[in-house]
Amino acid sequence: MEDGITAIEHGADAAAAVAEAAGAHADSGIHIALAAEQLGVFFGIPITNTLITSWAVILILFVIAFFVGRSIKMIPGRVQTLFETMISFILDYMTEVLEDAKLARKLFPLITTLFLFIFASNILEFTPGIGSFGLIEHTALGEVFTPILRSVNTDLNVTLALAIIAFVTIEVVGVATLGFVKYTKKFINFSSPLAFLVGIIELFSEVARLISFSFRLFGNIFAGEVLILVIVSFVPYFIPVPMMLFEVFVGLIQAAIFALLTLFFVKMAITPVPEH
Amino acid sequence: MEEIASVFGLNWKLLLIQAVNFGVLLLVLRYFLYTPVLKMLDERREKVEKGVKDAEAAGVRIQEIEDERDGVLKEASNEASNILSNSKERSVEQASQITTDANAQAETILESANLRSQELKEQALRESKEEIGKAAILAAEVILRDKK
Repeated sequence: MEDGITAIEHGADAAAAVAEAAGAHADSGIHIALAAEQLGVFFGIPITNTLITSWAVILILFVIAFFVGRSIKMIPGRVQTLFETMISFILDYMTEVLEDAKLARKLFPLITTLFLFIFASNILEFTPGIGSFGLIEHTALGEVFTPILRSVNTDLNVTLALAIIAFVTIEVVGVATLGFVKYTKKFINFSSPLAFLVGIIELFSEVARLISFSFRLFGNIFAGEVLILVIVSFVPYFIPVPMMLFEVFVGLIQAAIFALLTLFFVKMAITPVPEH
Repeated sequence: MEEIASVFGLNWKLLLIQAVNFGVLLLVLRYFLYTPVLKMLDERREKVEKGVKDAEAAGVRIQEIEDERDGVLKEASNEASNILSNSKERSVEQASQITTDANAQAETILESANLRSQELKEQALRESKEEIGKAAILAAEVILRDKK
C-alpha cells in the first residue's frame, strides 16, 4: 500500500514536472495537465473547465431525457424504441445479476445514470471544439492557453465523486439488505484467526475500490486524450481517426465497466458470508 | 497526500459539486426518462398480458361455441331423421289402413249386394208361387166350370 502511494507520488511528481515543462514552453510543446484548469472563482468555488463541461453534459442529457420522456407513447417511435430497449435491457440484466427485482428497480436509476453520464462525457470528448476554445493568458512564462471545455472524466474530482457515490451506495445497500451486524461480520470477524485475516483483507480491498474506481476511469480517459493529443501533434490528418474510434470504444467500455462493477459489488455486498 | 491532491487538482468543493451535479442528473433523468419509460413498459407488458389472456379466453370460447354448434347440428339431424322415419312409418301405416278400410267396405258392399239379390230372388220366388197358386185356382175354376 505504502509502495503504491509513493509510486503514485513519483508519478505525480513526474507528471507535474512534465506539466511544468509544458507550461514553460506553452507556445511550442504539447500542453498536458493532470489537474483541470481553473478558469475563475465563483463564491469561493473554483470554476474549472471540467466543471463547465460536466454541466454541459448534464444539460445535454436533460434535454434528451426531456424530449424522449415527454413523448412516450403506447406505440413507440424509433427514438422511444431505442431508449425502451436500452432501459429494459439494463433492468433485465440487473434483475438477473441481483436476483431481486425490487432492488434492481431501486438501483436502476443510479446504475443507468452512471453509465449515461460517463458515456456521454466520454463521447463529448471528441466533439470538435472541445479543447480548442480557450482563454489565452499572458504570464511571465509567455502565453498560456486554457481551454474552456475539457473532457469531464479527465478530472479526478469527477471520477472520485462518482467512485464515492458508488462506494456509499454499495455499503448502504449491503447494510440495508444484510443488517449492520451481519454486514460488518464480512470485515471484522473473530470466529477464527483466518477469518479475521480474510476480513481485514476484504476491508482493504473494499476501501481500495475508491481508488481503483476513480483511477481506472480517470487513467483510461486521460491516457486516451494524451495519446490522441500526441498523435495529432505528430500527424494531424487521418492517422488520429482510428485512434479516436478506438477511444470512443474505450469510452463506452469504461462507462459500462463503471456501471457494471458498481452492480457486481452491490451483488457481492448483499450476498451473506457463507457459514463454514 | 496533499501533493497528490494538488497535482490532480483535487478540491473538496469541486468533489462535492460534482457529486451534487451527478445527484441532480440522477433525479432529473429519473423524473423525465426512467419513470415514464418504465411506466410505459409496465403498461405495455400488462396490456400484452391482458391481450394474450383475452386471446386464450376467446379461443376457449370459440371451442365451446363450436362444440355447442356441433351438438345442436347433431341433434337437429337426429331429429330430422327421426321425423322422416316416423312419417315414413306413419304413411305406410296409413296406406295399409286405407287399403284395409277399402277392402272392408268393398266386402260389406258385396255382402249387402248379395243379400239384396237373395232377397229379390226370394221375393220373386214367392211372388211367382203366389202367381202360380192363383193361376192354379183359376185353372181349377175353369176346369170346374167346364164340367158343369
